[in-house]
Amino acid sequence: MKHSFIALIEDKCTSCMLCVRECPAWCISLDSHTIDVTEEGARRPRKVNVLDSFEIDYSLCMYCGVCIDVCPFDALAWDEHRALVTTNREDMLLGIEELGPSGSS
Amino acid sequence: MSRSFTWHQVEPKDWRDKIGESRNAGFTFFDFLTGVDRENVEGKQMCEVVVHLAKADLSESHFISTQVLNELPSITDLIPAAQWHERECAEMFGVQFNGGNAKPLLRHENLGRPPLLKSTVLAARVLTPWPGGAEPEIKEDGRKVGNASRRRQRPPGVPENWLKP
Repeated sequence: MKHSFIALIEDKCTSCMLCVRECPAWCISLDSHTIDVTEEGARRPRKVNVLDSFEIDYSLCMYCGVCIDVCPFDALAWDEHRALVTTNREDMLLGIEELGPSGSS
Repeated sequence: MSRSFTWHQVEPKDWRDKIGESRNAGFTFFDFLTGVDRENVEGKQMCEVVVHLAKADLSESHFISTQVLNELPSITDLIPAAQWHERECAEMFGVQFNGGNAKPLLRHENLGRPPLLKSTVLAARVLTPWPGGAEPEIKEDGRKVGNASRRRQRPPGVPENWLKP
């Protein structure tokens, strides 16, 4: 496995913010909101975080892998494909769509 | 090729003797000298200084370390190549190497605290918005949506009174 890209497996992410807070380069940002989910037979609705946006700024990322290590749900993983080579800084900012693991899209 | 590594922790008074001894025992390749901020050791602000010496064929290595408050005798007469490293260590960790070259290496003189000490607050970390401040109901800029009640978190390494409420 090449350590050339950090992929997000969106379904596993619970928006817990651990990766964002542990990142030494401050290159991850995440936005989410809370919804109430009522399950059948449950007394009270359960609060669930919904991921709105997840971005890794690859112009800041130093590929240390701390985010992958701290994620308790294995929602981040090393991946084969590479962040873009570009002259535009904004292209280095990858969101949920672009961060999907290779082979998924 | 198998390599052997040995660690030697010495008192500051034995620092030069131990390094001279290793050098004379054939550990002539000087790799590096660096500092490690140990912060609070029994109530004292200690810095650990480490030297890596190896045999010329790299088959054996000696790591020699000592813990100091803020000064240590220089080893530049034993190992001239250590001068650059001592100057760097002095600048970054505030360790004074007595008998060495005291000229600053990269930073201007009197430019505030040594930057690699953990107690040095990095101003950029205070001025840059921290993405980790966001919560499901608190946005990155501190805006609250929903019924958020949690206290705002502080970025690592930034003391409480450095952030405006």
